[in-house]
Amino acid sequence: MLTVEHLTKTFPSGKGIADVTFSVRRGEVFGFLGPNGAGKSTTIRHIMGFMKPDRGRAIVNGMDTWLRQGEVQSAIGYLPGEIAFIDGMTGRGFLDFLSGMQRTQDRARRERLIERLQFDANTPIRKMSKGMKQKVGIVAAFMHDPEVVILDEPTSGLDPLMQKVFVELVLEEKARGKTFLMSSHSFPEIERTCDRAAIIKDGAIVTIADIHELQRMQRKLFEVTFETADEAAAFAASGLQVDSLEGNRVRIAVQGDYGRFAEETTKRRVRNIDVFTQNLEEIFMDYYDRKGTGA
Amino acid sequence: MSAALYKQMMRVNLKGFLNYAVGSAFYILLMFWLYPGIAQNARALDDIVATMPEGVGKAFNLSGFGSAEAFISGEYYGLILVLILAIVSVQLSTQLMARLIDRGSMAYLLSTPTTRVRVATTQACVLVSGLLIILGATTLAGFAGKAWLLGDRYAFDAGRFILLNAAAFLMFFAVAGIAFLVSAASNDEKKALGLSGTIVFGFYSLDLLGKLGDSIAWMRDLSIFSLYRPSDIVGDGDFPALGFALLAAIGLAAFVAAVALFKRRDLPL
Repeated sequence: MLTVEHLTKTFPSGKGIADVTFSVRRGEVFGFLGPNGAGKSTTIRHIMGFMKPDRGRAIVNGMDTWLRQGEVQSAIGYLPGEIAFIDGMTGRGFLDFLSGMQRTQDRARRERLIERLQFDANTPIRKMSKGMKQKVGIVAAFMHDPEVVILDEPTSGLDPLMQKVFVELVLEEKARGKTFLMSSHSFPEIERTCDRAAIIKDGAIVTIADIHELQRMQRKLFEVTFETADEAAAFAASGLQVDSLEGNRVRIAVQGDYGRFAEETTKRRVRNIDVFTQNLEEIFMDYYDRKGTGA
Repeated sequence: MSAALYKQMMRVNLKGFLNYAVGSAFYILLMFWLYPGIAQNARALDDIVATMPEGVGKAFNLSGFGSAEAFISGEYYGLILVLILAIVSVQLSTQLMARLIDRGSMAYLLSTPTTRVRVATTQACVLVSGLLIILGATTLAGFAGKAWLLGDRYAFDAGRFILLNAAAFLMFFAVAGIAFLVSAASNDEKKALGLSGTIVFGFYSLDLLGKLGDSIAWMRDLSIFSLYRPSDIVGDGDFPALGFALLAAIGLAAFVAAVALFKRRDLPL
C-alpha cells in the first residue's frame, strides 16, 4: 500500500536521508521511530510529495508520490508534525474549507470525530491551545476516510485521556483495513498501535522489526522492595541481572524474560514493586551497543 | 483553478482589497472635486511648472491641467495609484505563496488532491482579482465623479480614461507577476517581501531618476515602469500598443514561470 524504495536526499547542509527502504502492507500500522532530526519528517515529506528525491521513490496506492502529486493525495490523510492553519478561521471553517479541497461532502463522519475528540470547533484557530489545534489536525487527517493515514508525531500536545481516544481511533480504522504510517519518538505510543516499526537514525534505517521484537529489546528496570534485607539479598543472588541492591530494595533489569523474574519474586514476601521503562533513546543505545559488541 | 481555494483566499483577503479600493475611489473623487478650481487656473499652473527645472515637472507628471483626465493622469495615475498598487502587489503576492510556505500551511493545501499547478494558478488568480477590484472601483469612481462633480462643463474623454485604467492594470499585472515569481520561489516570507519590494521600488526609482535629467535618461530604459506613461495616453499620443503588449507578455511570462518553478521545487513543509 505504501512503499519507500531507496529514498535518498542530501540537503546542502550535508544532512538528509540515505537509501531509506521499507514497505507498509494494507491494514498495517507501521511505526517510524527515531530521535529528533533523524530524518523521520524528511521521509514523510517525500511520501507526501513535497520534495523531489535525489534517488529512489515513494509509492502510495501504486502511484509515485512526486510524479503524481495531486492525484495520489485523494487516498491520503495527513497530520503534519507542525500544524499551521490559515489565518482568520475557526476550526470548523478550516475543516469546511479542507472538505471542499478534498471534494468530500460527508459531514457525518467529521461531526462524529469532533464529538469524540471533545473540542469546540467554532473556536477561532488563533485562540486555540496546542492540544486543540492537534485535535483539529487529527479530524482533518481522518474526516475524508482515507485509505492511507500518515501521522507525524500525532499525540504531541494531547493529554493522556485524548491519547487513549486517539489510540482507539487508530485501532478501529486499522480494523477497517486502513493503512497507517506513524512517526514518533515515544515508544509507548508506537507500542500500543503498531504491528511493525522502523528505527531511523542519522538519515538511515537502523532496523525494521516486529513490535514484539522491539518490546523484547526494551529493557525494563523493576525495583522490588522486600519485607527483609535477607530476602532482598537472596533475591539478588538468584541469578537475575542486578542493577543495584540497597537494604531491602533490589533493582533488577529485565529484558524479555519476565517469567523468570516473576517466579523469583513470588518466592519471597514483596512489599512493593516499581517499574521504570526505558525511553527510546536508551533502547537505541542498547541496540547500538549490542550491535557493536556482537559484530 | 480550485474553486474552494479561490473562495477561501478571496474571503481572507477581501477586506484588504476593499480597503484599498475604497481608499482609491475616494482619492479619485477628491481629485475630481478639486479639478474645477484647478481648471480655472490651468494657465497659471502651467506657468508655475514652466518655471521649475524641466526634470521635476516631468518626473512628477506636473503637466497638462487642460482636461480632467490629463489632471488625474498626472496627479493620481502617475504617483499615488502607482504607490498603492505597488504595495498591494508586493504584499499580497508574498502572502499568497511565501507566507503559506514559510508557515507550513501550504502542507495542508498540497495534502489534498490538488496539484501544485492548480494551487499556484489559483493564488495567481486571487492576486489578479485583487488588482481588478481595486482598479475597477477606481474606474467606476472616476465615472461617478465625472457625472456628479464635473457635469458637462469640463472636458473629459471617457475612452482615454478607460485606456488609462487599462494601462495601470497591465502595468501592475506585470509587477504582480514578478513579485509572485519571487514569492513562489521563496521559503522565507520576510526575504520574499524584501526582495520583491526591492525589485519593484528599484524599478520605480530608476524610472523616476531617469525622468529627472536627460543625461541619466537611459536609466528609464532599465525599468519596466517606462512602459507605463499615463500622460502620453491622455495626451495626443497613439494607442501604446507595443507597451501594452510588452507589459502583458512580461506579466504572463512571470506568472507562468512562477507556476512552473513552484511545480518542480522542494518545499520545506
